[in-house]
Amino acid sequence: MRVATFGDSRIGIVAADETVVDVTDLLEQFDPPGPEHLLPDLIINFDTLRDELTERATAGGGTPTAEAQLHSPLIRPTKIICLIGNYREGTDRPIQILDVFFKSPEGIVGHNDTVVLPRHQASIFHHEAEIAVVVGKEAKDLTPESAMDAVFGYTIFEDISARGTGRPGIVSFLGKSHDTFAGFGPWIVTRDEIPDPQALHITVDVNGERRQDYSTADMERPIRELMTYLSSITTLNPGDVICCGTNHQGLGAVQDGDEVITSIEGIGSFTLHVRDEMERAWQRGIDTEMAERVKAMAQQPDQQANGEQAS
Amino acid sequence: MRLVLTGDDRIAVLKDNGIVDVSSAFADLKYRTAADRMPRVLAALRDRRKQVEELAASSSVEPLGALQAPVPRPPKLLAAFGNYREGTDRERQEQDMFLESPDSVTGPDSTVVLPNHPASIFHHEAELALVIGKRAKDLPADASALEALAGYTCAIDVSGRGIGRMPPSRMGKSFDTFTPLGPAIVTPDEVPDPQNLRVTLSVNGEARQEYTTADMEYSVVEILAFLSGYMTLVPGDVILCGTNHQGLGALQHGDEVRMEIEGVGVLCVNVDDPLRREWPRGVDQEMADRVRNAAG
Repeated sequence: MRVATFGDSRIGIVAADETVVDVTDLLEQFDPPGPEHLLPDLIINFDTLRDELTERATAGGGTPTAEAQLHSPLIRPTKIICLIGNYREGTDRPIQILDVFFKSPEGIVGHNDTVVLPRHQASIFHHEAEIAVVVGKEAKDLTPESAMDAVFGYTIFEDISARGTGRPGIVSFLGKSHDTFAGFGPWIVTRDEIPDPQALHITVDVNGERRQDYSTADMERPIRELMTYLSSITTLNPGDVICCGTNHQGLGAVQDGDEVITSIEGIGSFTLHVRDEMERAWQRGIDTEMAERVKAMAQQPDQQANGEQAS
Repeated sequence: MRLVLTGDDRIAVLKDNGIVDVSSAFADLKYRTAADRMPRVLAALRDRRKQVEELAASSSVEPLGALQAPVPRPPKLLAAFGNYREGTDRERQEQDMFLESPDSVTGPDSTVVLPNHPASIFHHEAELALVIGKRAKDLPADASALEALAGYTCAIDVSGRGIGRMPPSRMGKSFDTFTPLGPAIVTPDEVPDPQNLRVTLSVNGEARQEYTTADMEYSVVEILAFLSGYMTLVPGDVILCGTNHQGLGALQHGDEVRMEIEGVGVLCVNVDDPLRREWPRGVDQEMADRVRNAAG
């Protein structure tokens, strides 16, 4: 099932005929304190709502997706956890130590929305296409056996990234937390429709030119392991989003006027536009310097926290 | 005014001799849990301040009981990298900050549970915390930025070192229970100069951290301006202003931790380690020297 948010905070199911069927009325029984609770309520109560949602979607009467004004399916994720470099990137090196950063949920934008580049003096702004997991229930200390039960579904995530800002010598990842830097959508596909999330093809096209092109089969730590490990650190909540990292082979600049289309097999296609009031210009095409640097980093033995820095 | 959230989910004003329940001033706000209630309360507080103060003056005082963190789950939990001069006269470092898991927050008199993860050490970091009271973007770095604040509180940014592969470890600060917060949100009118507050932290009665916010590299208003230049701040967001690393030490099983910010409050927690690991007691001098040298 594909779940979307559209129009004026309406929740819909995307039917097989590519129309969005409004099911918001089914969620009113949960008396949401605000519209941001609608989709989490659907997620939490999905097992009991499922048959009725399916019936509604089958009955038709929806609005074509192109006319439905899709928004980010979650108005505001409760937290966004992003994996740091979680792909082998064409190497045969040992997998790296798992690490994450947290991204501002205020950065969320949806399908056909606009990424606004800030005036900060970044060396470049990159797209990073990722598959994202939407958490389905409160979870702590999941086991590998139970980990996938806590997955509600999957969607497309664009982890827009400003490089080269912040304190020299450390990577704060704050350049990923500008408003509008978290592309998320166009809808959430429930877990049952993606039997193997580790075999999905991901592509990014900027103005029709292919950039990223990789498979989730290349992930260092699969989703099951991510769910298990992350739930040993922090309580996961329904509506949390876990972004599984990107393959840096194929990153490139996003700049004023760009149209960025990210596609994931079995999920769909997600479009972002880019605006830069300063109209800065970077070289178009793939950032091969970045690609080579990440590959080279990955092939070095891990430099683990010798001399943890102050924070 | 000092606003607290009681253990049984009531909103109250903290007084010298107890608390006064002011929940009725916010009775119309819909919520599910204390976690999503407090951001709504803080957003509404500005317009209802007079009503709350009248309630606090006219209602009966009851004894202070158990408290939750005044924001049990902030929409965002933000923290500064090393933001103190630490006794050096160096130029201040480039400003930078990061996000931690908002699910790491825990309340006064609760227990910090050390996880079964191979940290090299778990440190306490006493910090001045800012609580946001209204949506804000692109705040100026002057006193008008303080209008975005609901108030100030105490925080301990418990830090497991050496977790993950890219230090400083964000995961090591994001374990559940690793951000004790409270006891009260102290409104800005009660803190005339946030850059002149004495911060102390002791473990089992032994002094560890002792510093003043006068030594901050980037002041509270500069922090607000910097962060809101990146992202929209929303009611309930909590911002940790960084710590002075001169005086950090290990937290371990059985420890009783007391931190105080003069004029803001006293925050106590205890520590539980199911694995009963042990580290040297006292101040971590190696860490203190390393940060001073890195900063110099």
